[in-house]
Order: sequence, then C-alpha cells, then structure tokens
Amino acid sequence: VWSERNGGYWIVSGRELIGQMAKRPDLLSNDHDPLGRRRGYGGVAIPSPVNSHSRGGFLEMDPPEHLAYRQILNPHLSPTAVERWRPMVRDLARACIDDVIETGSIDFVDDFANIVPAVLTMGMLGFPLVDWVHYCEPAHAIVYTPPHSPGWKRVIELMLLMAARLADELDRAKTNPRPGMLASLVEAQQNDPDVFNDEDILGTLTLLIGGGFDTTTALLSHAVHWLDGRSIDRAGLVQDGSRLDTATEEFLRFATPAQGGGRTITADCEIAGHRFRRDDRVWMAYGLTNHDAEAFPDPDDIVLDRFPNRHAAFGLGIHRCIGSNLARMSFKSMIGEVLTRLPDYEICHDGIVRYEDVGTINGYQHMPAAFSPGPRRGEPLDQVIETWQVALDAPRA
Amino acid sequence: VTRKDVRMRVNVDPAVCQGHTLCTLAAPQVFLLGEDDGHAYVATEEVPSELEDAVRRAAATCPEGAIRVQD
Repeated sequence: VWSERNGGYWIVSGRELIGQMAKRPDLLSNDHDPLGRRRGYGGVAIPSPVNSHSRGGFLEMDPPEHLAYRQILNPHLSPTAVERWRPMVRDLARACIDDVIETGSIDFVDDFANIVPAVLTMGMLGFPLVDWVHYCEPAHAIVYTPPHSPGWKRVIELMLLMAARLADELDRAKTNPRPGMLASLVEAQQNDPDVFNDEDILGTLTLLIGGGFDTTTALLSHAVHWLDGRSIDRAGLVQDGSRLDTATEEFLRFATPAQGGGRTITADCEIAGHRFRRDDRVWMAYGLTNHDAEAFPDPDDIVLDRFPNRHAAFGLGIHRCIGSNLARMSFKSMIGEVLTRLPDYEICHDGIVRYEDVGTINGYQHMPAAFSPGPRRGEPLDQVIETWQVALDAPRA
Repeated sequence: VTRKDVRMRVNVDPAVCQGHTLCTLAAPQVFLLGEDDGHAYVATEEVPSELEDAVRRAAATCPEGAIRVQD
C-alpha cells in the first residue's frame, strides 16, 4: 500500500511478501545518512528524525559494517550467553515484587517492567547497574512522545543529557573497561577504528538501551493486561513450561512491541510481483503482518498454545532483533514471578495509560493493579543491585 | 548411511537462518543452536520416524523458511 504521508512511502504487510523483501538486503537499505556522506538515505524511522546528525547504531547500517557489529555483539546475546543472566533477572524480579507486595498495589510498568530490563541492560553493557535510573526516562520518553508535541522539547533535553553520559561512559571504558558489550566494542575499535568509530559506538549504545529497555516493558504490560480476569490461563502458564513458551511467542505476535522499520530501495526492482523505484521509502509493517489472517487464523485472538507461529515480532532477515533471546528469557522470568507472587492481581483499568504514539513501540506508560498483600521473600531492590554489582566486578576465575 | 527406518531428511540453510530459535521449541532433539550466534543446525540430517511430526512443525514455524525437509 502506498501512503502519501511523511513524503510518501510503501507500507509492506502480508506475511509472504514481507518475508521475501526481508531476504533482499541488497535492494533494501537500512542506512541512515543525514549528512549526505554516502547516499543520503533516511534510515529506519519514517519520517526521518529532524535535526539528527548521526545514525542509530548498526540498525541503521548495511553489510558489511552491520555484520561487523553483529559479530562483536552476538556472543553476548546468544541463547547460551543470556542464560548466564537468568539468576540476576530472577533476583531483580523477586526484589521488585518484594518492594510492593506488602502494599497490595503495583504499577506493572513503573514498579516492575521498567526496572528489570533496564538493570539487566546496564549489566550486559558493562555500565554501573545503579545507572539504570538515568537512562530509564529518556529511553521511554523518546518513544511515547510524538515529535512536534509540547513534550518533545523535554525529550530533546533528556536525550542530550543521555548522550553526554554515554560519551563519559565510552571514555571510561577506553581506560578502565568493565566486562560487557561496551568493552567488546572498544576492543573492536583498536582493530578497526574506521568501522568502530566513536560516533557509531555511541549510536549503538543508544540503540541497545532503547531496544533493551522499552520493548520487554511493552510485552510484559500487554501480557498482564490480557491475563487480567483470566485466572485459568494464568494457572496454566505457571504449571506448564511449554505452555509458557508458546504463550510468549503468541504475546510477541499479538502485541509486536517494535511495530516495524523503514528501508530505502537501492535500485529499480520487482519483488514478489511488486515494482519499486530506486529511493522509494518502505515501511516493513511487522505488527500489521502479525495480524495477517492468511498466516494466522483468528489473528486478533490470543491463542496461548498457537503453534506453529511464524510471527515476525523480532523482524525478519539480517536485522532480526539481536536481543530476541534476552527478551524471551527475561519476559518468562518476569511473568513467572508475577503469576506466582501476585496470583489474584486485578488491573485498575482507570489508571491505564497507553503510549500516545504507538508507531515505534506499542507500549503502555502505566498499568496499575491491586492484589492481596503477601510477605517479602528477600532483600529490597537497591541491595540486590549492590550485591550483583559486587559479583559482576569480582575477578573471574 | 541411509537406514531403512529413516524416510525423512532435514537441514537448515545457514544463509537463510537468522537465529529465531523457534525450531528448538518444536524439535529440540533435532535442532541445535550455535554457541556464538544462536543460529540453528541439525544434530543429524536423518530424522527418526517418531520425530517426523515435530520436524514438520519446526519447518512450519521457522519465520525465515530456512528449514528444508525431504521425505
């Protein structure tokens, strides 16, 4: 479908078509080149951000640069690698629930789903864990605030503060690195300073924070919202691990936290019977695709044991979400903690606030709930973070 | 070696697989994941008859269509 908005662009949905297009990185470019150093392409946002001078990490690169970044970061995010973080995720989830469990009320976003993925991302990057608070609000505000709205000025200020903080963190990592993704990027810079230049490393850090923070938050919010009033489904997910596996894929399909991404066509071409012209802008509508009735019967129903489930929630092709394994692991730990500790929670519907703009991330700003109070099981969050920091900093055998 | 009781063969096209890992939900006995990137490969191309259904489900759920089944 052609849209006249935002300068004109194709909206690509339909499971088969989008799958074929995603396999053509030779014809679809992710490059973002606001300063016109290469071909001047607009990157993955439609419309392209105003006043932007840099690109969003390796998501806005094409091969071979893109591949160089993925090769450095993949070993941190493989299924085996993310499994090592499960104990920390469990402790964090337990502590967040502990900090509210005696009160009988929780905001699933503010008190829980904003916190666990954020602290986890800090740990994976090799940042101080306590610094999650500095990145949390900017990471969420930039996706829920519509550009040109009154709140946008605040977003710009938050982003500038965050950029300055990231630059400090990069400097520190060059002299005194903590193990993690940033240390690996700095090491790669020593071998290839052109591809791993400071600007693109900083763009990559911003990308990893955005991807790590806001998406799992959105998924968790949608899941607890849908499970409201469905006590039989809740019990089923607690009792049966394989049901939780398929349910996770179904929540991903249904909610699709990251709704899609922009591309630029690099040459006149025809893909699956559709003609495109060079420089056409294209929106890969993964969220819409996940509701394609031809690929997913009853697409607007959540079917917890739906399988096979060829959803495209993590995108398709070479730009598949690099954090997909981390997202699954942390989501399952978090929803498990909610369902076992707060089995009778009820969402307070009047307090739900959906993102004003769900074009980038389909999320919620607030998702309050009430439940029967219970006893704490362990240390509060700040102590858990401190304990884990000591453990992460200890020299490895 | 082709055994008589094996009728199905399966492999993963490494150029198409992007590491979505859904195949291991369907047939963890057949599909393994690379240590570094989580991309899938098969433990053996010969599918024991009792795992044929699971392998078909894995092929049907692969978001990239990277799994080739011959039977």
